[in-house]
Amino acid sequence: MSAIINDFTINIATANGTGSQSANLILLQSLFEMGVPVSGKNLFPSNISGLPTWYIVRLSDKGYQAPGDRTHIQVLVNPATWDEDLAALEPGSVVIWNSDTKGKTVERDDIVSYPVPMSSLARKINPKIAKLVTNIVYVGVLAELLGIDQACLESAVAKQFKGKATAIELNITALGLGRGFCNEELTKADPYAVEKRAVTKPQFFIEGNEAAALGAHYGGVQLLAWYPITPSSSLAEGVINYIPRLRTDDDGKANMAVIQAEDELAAAGMVLGAGWAGGRGMTATSGPGISLMQEFIGLAYFAEIPSVFWDVTRVGPSTGLPTRTQQSDISMLYEGSHGDTQHIVLIPGTVEECFEYGWRAFDYAERFQTPVFGMSDLDLGMNRWACEGFTYPDQPMDRGKVVREQDVFDAFETFGRYLDVDGDGIPYRTLPGSGMAPILYRGTGHNPMGVYSEKPEDYFNLMQRLRMKIDRARDELPAPILREEEECEVGIVFLGSMENSIQEIDDLLEATGIMVSQCRVRALPLHSEVEEFVRRHKTVIVLEINRDGQLYGILRRELPNDLVTKVHSVAYSDGLPPRARIYADRILQTLEEVKQ
Amino acid sequence: MSEKPARAIKLNVLNEPKDSYTGGPSSLCPGCGHDQISNVIITAAWENGIEPHRIAKMSGIGCSSKTPAYYLGQSHGFNTVHGRMPSVTTGAYAINKDLLYLGVSGDGDSASIGIGQLIHAIRRNMDMVYIIENNGVYGLTKGQYSATADVGSKKKKGPANETQPIDLCALAINLGCTFVARSFSGSKKQLTSLLKAAMSHKGFALIDVISPCVTFNNNDESMRSYSYVKENEVTLHMADYIPHFNPVEEIEVPEGHFKDITLHDGSTIRLETISEEHDPGDAMAALTALHGAESDGNHVTGLLYFDASKPSLAEDLGLVDEALLDVPDEVLRPNQASLDALNAEFLA
Repeated sequence: MSAIINDFTINIATANGTGSQSANLILLQSLFEMGVPVSGKNLFPSNISGLPTWYIVRLSDKGYQAPGDRTHIQVLVNPATWDEDLAALEPGSVVIWNSDTKGKTVERDDIVSYPVPMSSLARKINPKIAKLVTNIVYVGVLAELLGIDQACLESAVAKQFKGKATAIELNITALGLGRGFCNEELTKADPYAVEKRAVTKPQFFIEGNEAAALGAHYGGVQLLAWYPITPSSSLAEGVINYIPRLRTDDDGKANMAVIQAEDELAAAGMVLGAGWAGGRGMTATSGPGISLMQEFIGLAYFAEIPSVFWDVTRVGPSTGLPTRTQQSDISMLYEGSHGDTQHIVLIPGTVEECFEYGWRAFDYAERFQTPVFGMSDLDLGMNRWACEGFTYPDQPMDRGKVVREQDVFDAFETFGRYLDVDGDGIPYRTLPGSGMAPILYRGTGHNPMGVYSEKPEDYFNLMQRLRMKIDRARDELPAPILREEEECEVGIVFLGSMENSIQEIDDLLEATGIMVSQCRVRALPLHSEVEEFVRRHKTVIVLEINRDGQLYGILRRELPNDLVTKVHSVAYSDGLPPRARIYADRILQTLEEVKQ
Repeated sequence: MSEKPARAIKLNVLNEPKDSYTGGPSSLCPGCGHDQISNVIITAAWENGIEPHRIAKMSGIGCSSKTPAYYLGQSHGFNTVHGRMPSVTTGAYAINKDLLYLGVSGDGDSASIGIGQLIHAIRRNMDMVYIIENNGVYGLTKGQYSATADVGSKKKKGPANETQPIDLCALAINLGCTFVARSFSGSKKQLTSLLKAAMSHKGFALIDVISPCVTFNNNDESMRSYSYVKENEVTLHMADYIPHFNPVEEIEVPEGHFKDITLHDGSTIRLETISEEHDPGDAMAALTALHGAESDGNHVTGLLYFDASKPSLAEDLGLVDEALLDVPDEVLRPNQASLDALNAEFLA
């Protein structure tokens, strides 16, 4: 039996609220500290405690971060999903199971079975918290079976329980019990092992939401107005958590405000109020929140109020699968609210980009005087991703065309709030309290002076200018990431967190002899380079995590007619993070259909 | 005929003429109670000596919410969306707490679509004046009952209203609102004093103003018509406002009982007892007066409730002393060293 090193997937089935998350993060962190390219996916229920949770750890020397097609090592702790999880395993898989689970056993002779009395071992340490300790016991067993370095494990424990000496000691003891049991009672019968890898570039793990929150601080956010919703709450809480460190003076006074709103409507209203007053306001929400905010989004577009909305998307429609991931708000963000609208959407695909767009969103919002969306998703936002570090903004804050000084104001021959002085569609504005050119902002029709108007030419001209303003933004927004080899006939257009599966998809396609180029869209409206990418390829597949091919729809509508026919959609979503095999198969199938 | 000597234009404490506080011409129906309120707003802001550009005019949607165009032409304003003026005001306030936020709303805005936002603005003790121009009907959509229409009241067309009304003053008192008053657009003197006092209050000041709709709800069977309110108004007290720049000693002391309430900016509202004394510090008394009036088919007006003890939103937010708007960009954005330190810690 030849060893399989750093190339397998562990699936841990527990119930939520049992402390399994910290055990799983310790496992993930310890592998990370060994230099093993590893990713973790938390598949959790919309519930506080007692419902099934799976944590998927993928080790891949190739750097694959998608969950993988199959489970190689299954940890069974949760009786509720026991039979199903067991039945799903392919022959040759490994099962580490809690042999203290009443009424449950493992009877399959085509798999490697390691029974571990996890509950009894945990009770030895402290019967009162046996349930919590059970989880760390399986980490100890895994560590011994796979050869996880003890120092890395201890370092991971220390990071997980920062400074809490009792918790650290307890967990290290429990890890030891797991290891000890494995040593004495089990005989290794599987090929899986981990090996240290040299770390070329130091990295750390961080969630996309925390990265976006930090980015917002480096964008000088002045108001966070939010209403709790999974999976965006940790973005808002990330902003809050860093206020003492980053935004508070020696007297303990903050230079940003946080208001937990009564609902998403109010959160959006507060963000608009902040923008109207001349400040940088943001909210963080998910699809259902954006649905509620539509009315204000239209007002922000029409009255030209800078405002920033983060949508950490989850599975819709309606309440959908609140704790699962999807890219299904693309159309809603791009064309949010009734009437003709179009919005700037920034779409990070990495934690570094979450940080970068965290601050850039404000610059765009103020430069273009319009709502700007950050579109992340549950997978990127709530899972931990490797990061080499965040880069400080390379330019000062762009506050846009705000007239603050009287002499600047006096230099205007005529000042109109919605007068297109520079011909770029972006007017100048003055702020409440300044006394300069005061107007009554409104969501009703208005003329260039900001006065109510129902005149056909006023409405028509205003709508044309708004379209031009957003249209001109496209090439100032983040350009797509292109990975292209000249000979490729097939191009893949994708966005956001699909970044983390694309390499594996690409390799799977390559294994069948198909070479593809990649174009990761990072903003809407589409950068002109996207059109050029399409033009250079014979067949273009738009790959996204939803049912309807929302990005595909945007391309079809906006590309010149001669390019439309070469664009095809591969859209798939079942709530789970994208598994490369599923998308690769569908791409192959689509290419086959195109050929016919 | 001898020429009259040129009369000096009357100026306020800032040497501003009243014209500095006016707005554009109204497009509301002639005789609308809302126009009288607009005039009171102009007078109150002028007499209080508030710099006109330091006021922010906020409104939602409806007849009332159109009025910010008709007063304070030197102030920025925001005619937002239906019922959502409180949240927009809250956001603006977080950025620039140094402005006087003057919100105008209607009963559609405040008692129906936006009642949640009203409630939460009160709960936060948002520092603003919130005027409800309350006529019991939706005007712009041509005369449907609103949620404040009194039981048994009948508008110009259709059957009488049988649905229990929401009394926004009672609601506000129950929520711990720190300044709750009711007035009548026809009671110019009382309304002016109450509005001036509201402008001097730090915290949420709600004034529910009965403002008859001359087009849809001014008929004899309506309980919000001019004639009905005039005949059935129960005034709790006479109210006089004494601005902080005008010492109390100079004011003629009225006969009988009176109660002075000192407001946050040092101004005073003097409540002169008419019959029974009303203590605005007593929430139960205020609620009793409201319930009594409702069962008698009356409208009770005056300063119903007042509480200067609660912190306003600005204090709760724990912000730096200057308005966030005035914090320089270099301070808003944490420095490079702070990010270097974070990166280093994450990597450690």
